[in-house]
Amino acid sequence: MKKNKYLLLFSSIGVFLLLVYAAASENFFKEWQAIQAEAKSSEGPIDVRLRQIINPSLKTTDRCVSCHVGMAPGETVVSHLRVAAPHKPVVHSPIEMGCTTCHAGQGLATERLDAHGDVDFWPEPMLPAKYAYASCGRCHTPLEVPNTKRLEAAKNTFERLDCYACHRLDGRGGTIRPGGKTGMEGPDLSHTGIKGFNKEWYEGHLAKKQADTSGLWENAFAEIGEGDRALLDQFLGLQMGAPTLIAAKAEYNSVGCAGCHIVGNFGGDTGVDLSQVGEKDPNRLSYINVPGSKTFPNWIAQHFRLPVSTVAGSQMPALGLSGDQIDLLTMYILSLKRRSLPDIWLPKDRVKAMRFGAREFTTDGETIYTAVCSGCHGAGGNGMRYPGLPPYPSITNRDFLELASDEFVFQTIKQGRPGRPMLPWGVRQNGFSDEEIRSVVTYIRALGGIDAVPDEKPARWAGGDGKLGSRLFAANCAGCHGAMGGGGEGPALSNKNLLASATDTFLYETISKGRRGTVMKGFTEPSPVRKSLTGYEIESIVTYLRSMNAK
Amino acid sequence: MSSEAANPSALRGIWDNLKSTPKRMYGSAFRSGSPKTDRTRSSFVFGNVFLHLHSVRTHIWSLKWSTTMGLGIMTTAAFFITLVTGILLMFYYKPYPDVAYQSMKDIHFVVPTGRFIRNIHRWAANLMVVAVILHMARTFFTASYRKPREFNWLVGWGLLVTTLALSFTGYLLPWDQLAYWAITIGANIAQSPREITDALGMTQYLDIGGLQRMILLGSDEVGAEALIRFYLLHVMLLPIVLLLLMAVHFWRIRKDGGIARPDDADELVSTDPKENYPVFTDDPQKTYQLAAVVKGTTPAVGNGPERTLPSMPHLFYAELGVLMLTTLICLALALISDAPLKEIANPMIPENPAKAPWYFLGLQEIVSFSAFTGGIGIPALCWLGLGLIPFLDRERSGSGKWFGGPGGWTLFKWSLLVGFGASVGIEAFAIHFGWLREWFPSIPQLAITFINPGTVLTLIYALFSVWTVRRYNSTRAGAVALFTCFLCGFVVLTVVGTYFRGPNWEFYWSPSDWPGH
Repeated sequence: MKKNKYLLLFSSIGVFLLLVYAAASENFFKEWQAIQAEAKSSEGPIDVRLRQIINPSLKTTDRCVSCHVGMAPGETVVSHLRVAAPHKPVVHSPIEMGCTTCHAGQGLATERLDAHGDVDFWPEPMLPAKYAYASCGRCHTPLEVPNTKRLEAAKNTFERLDCYACHRLDGRGGTIRPGGKTGMEGPDLSHTGIKGFNKEWYEGHLAKKQADTSGLWENAFAEIGEGDRALLDQFLGLQMGAPTLIAAKAEYNSVGCAGCHIVGNFGGDTGVDLSQVGEKDPNRLSYINVPGSKTFPNWIAQHFRLPVSTVAGSQMPALGLSGDQIDLLTMYILSLKRRSLPDIWLPKDRVKAMRFGAREFTTDGETIYTAVCSGCHGAGGNGMRYPGLPPYPSITNRDFLELASDEFVFQTIKQGRPGRPMLPWGVRQNGFSDEEIRSVVTYIRALGGIDAVPDEKPARWAGGDGKLGSRLFAANCAGCHGAMGGGGEGPALSNKNLLASATDTFLYETISKGRRGTVMKGFTEPSPVRKSLTGYEIESIVTYLRSMNAK
Repeated sequence: MSSEAANPSALRGIWDNLKSTPKRMYGSAFRSGSPKTDRTRSSFVFGNVFLHLHSVRTHIWSLKWSTTMGLGIMTTAAFFITLVTGILLMFYYKPYPDVAYQSMKDIHFVVPTGRFIRNIHRWAANLMVVAVILHMARTFFTASYRKPREFNWLVGWGLLVTTLALSFTGYLLPWDQLAYWAITIGANIAQSPREITDALGMTQYLDIGGLQRMILLGSDEVGAEALIRFYLLHVMLLPIVLLLLMAVHFWRIRKDGGIARPDDADELVSTDPKENYPVFTDDPQKTYQLAAVVKGTTPAVGNGPERTLPSMPHLFYAELGVLMLTTLICLALALISDAPLKEIANPMIPENPAKAPWYFLGLQEIVSFSAFTGGIGIPALCWLGLGLIPFLDRERSGSGKWFGGPGGWTLFKWSLLVGFGASVGIEAFAIHFGWLREWFPSIPQLAITFINPGTVLTLIYALFSVWTVRRYNSTRAGAVALFTCFLCGFVVLTVVGTYFRGPNWEFYWSPSDWPGH
């Protein structure tokens, strides 16, 4: 029975060796220990111990500082280790907010792969550095962001008027001191959107300029026009130390996403609610048709390129966005985290958006149009055709804008077209006010550059024979507008809201002259395939259309 | 004066006592002296409350590796490893939803050796389940359940259930997605009598399934109630039950005359005179007659004890050897492979596929056809059948021998063929052609409850077993056939459930073929 003895002997030796190995790797082979052992502060080597930043109310326990030891509370590491360097100064102290609040990743982990989070089963891998500002969206909701064009205009104005000369913005500028050595540096404007700013700044500057005798103000400051001042005010309202996030949001407000998607308190409900889409777990996404890395940012970027091949069955059309646009939109999507927060951490902007329905885009006609309408009607108002979706009409068409009164366009935006993609933008939750809609109407007019031709006739004047109209409709119109006028290739004509706001003149003239640039040809002109219609016949069709409304 | 004179001597006495205390203390602990003679070896064993669960001498047959393969000791060793590591884990684990997951992450990343200990715990637990099943198979195939060991078979039967329950309750504790949905599936299996009550339209009056699920979870969903319930079961109730049953189990081995061995074991072990150890030839100060007072066929009564060895140290070498081997296996696995920890449990996002712990995946496979068959019908049949074995098979031939009894190896091999063939065949058929629901979409569920791959497979096994009983004219032969078949079915269904089932429980050759979701 010797073999039992040997079994015991060799198993015990094996257990002993494995335990020695486990103990050694536990105590001597940990990366963070090695990093800390090499790091030195000005007073010499630092203690090697697990370090962490805990913020219970934000639910962060971040052990990142065990490797990035220069960022640990109270440490001033001077060695040249890359990962041990101190954090650059930022608005929110990492010592208070932790690391993962902004950078994501797995704060609880103490090994690089796990901590950086690109591992199975960790839903929030670290954000690539270029998207780091997306994390502001966890708590903050930037309000009243214009579209890219206006944001650029505002930024250019700030630059053009040389505000950087005295003021610092996001670490740039603020080198000249108007009062000489004893004077004051202009205040840092990096966070005026959060902390607020003196609305009377212009008057203040002017007064200083007049009171100044040194000549410095005389040269440094000149009068600013009203338009530029409005842009500057808007620009100051957006400064939260995260310029790339604002640019990303401006892009979202430039390509009409809100026409289909809800974010927070506003948007169309045709598409997916995006309010918390940035919280998606990358482990649960399908990467089958996603070239490149299997990361969430790449998935989003690919989705913008080809939505339907990324998400099977997606109704979203490929928008033909440029690489830069996709980058910005990806950033914005990543910022849509909107985590529920304890009250003390709720910033004012989020409260305004959440509780008081504050707009996240500016309500000038242009921004509303680019933020909500341009996805379907096109940036130039020329309509869009996406494969597999009904055509979206041109709204800057000369024939349309001439005939459509402002009231008609206003009612169309306000009431929408029931049963069609056009939503009732004025009568939905947190919908547009009449004033906002009017500004959009004005913008559309400006976009087309065409005024409505005044119409002297009453709203209803068409006579004619409804039965004749019915026959003519079936023969001439049903092909595109549907047998019952429910729409097909052409728009729905039986639509209640259309018939309510369209005047007889509108209908009559559209039928007789058609709409240039579309397949709708004028019916008073003969064509090789049909006879022209007489005025009486067109009136009859209008009468018939009116009877659809009665049904 | 006399008292003064007495004082120094009393003090001296205390001093002397103090000096000799270590020796006396040693003597009081090891009362019989060092185990160098047969007598002191014997008293070493029966003088110790833990060791006396063993008999004083062990038959050489029992010490042969091929007799037990150390599976019972391996199960026990695995249990003690989980006990020690489990207690260590309890220092850090907090049984409350979300907090539990947080503490798992702490154990994984921060607690010194926490991950290692958790890995050991997990591997030892899995090893214990495997070992206890193999141990049961060993006991069955050597026909060791027969008189007088019927009761111990039943105790072992209880130990198997307790082991599975321990493992299952431990599964929820990490509170990650894997745990959460596995337990949800497990609880749904417990709810499976609803299939019958639903079909009979009596669920609203008598909801046995719902009640079972409620008892298990303490709530409608897997939540804080379920977690604390599982925790209490896992760390307290079930370990106590297991320890008690184990004590009974071991003690019964001794009282039943040691490990079962064939009648001719003495001749079989060795005819070499050197291997023939006489009993109590040196230092025969004590007779063994007291044993005769005990009723029944206790160890050495009526048997020549010549082919036995002192348990101390021969048996203990073997036991400690297996203990260390088990530890070695667990440590090695723990170093190679980390215990899984997925995302934090999220009741809003079901795992797809949600899989029960691996040892229940065979059942889940049948549940995918019929909840009642897989959840209650077949398990109940198995438990009942296992419990009845020693009372149905009262034959004597082949006891203590591998595949002993009529049929022997040949029967075992044929049973393997039928067991694997039928289960693989039925699975392949159901996967390839579908089942009644696919052919007749409006068929009542009750029909599927009675006719599904699980019941058909059971029927094939039963018919084969009946045929064997007639062929060999032996209950034992039938039992071997049936047991082997069920074991094969368990293996095949578990493998299919583990490796070949993907989202929506569809068949896939490999997880890499799973569609993204």
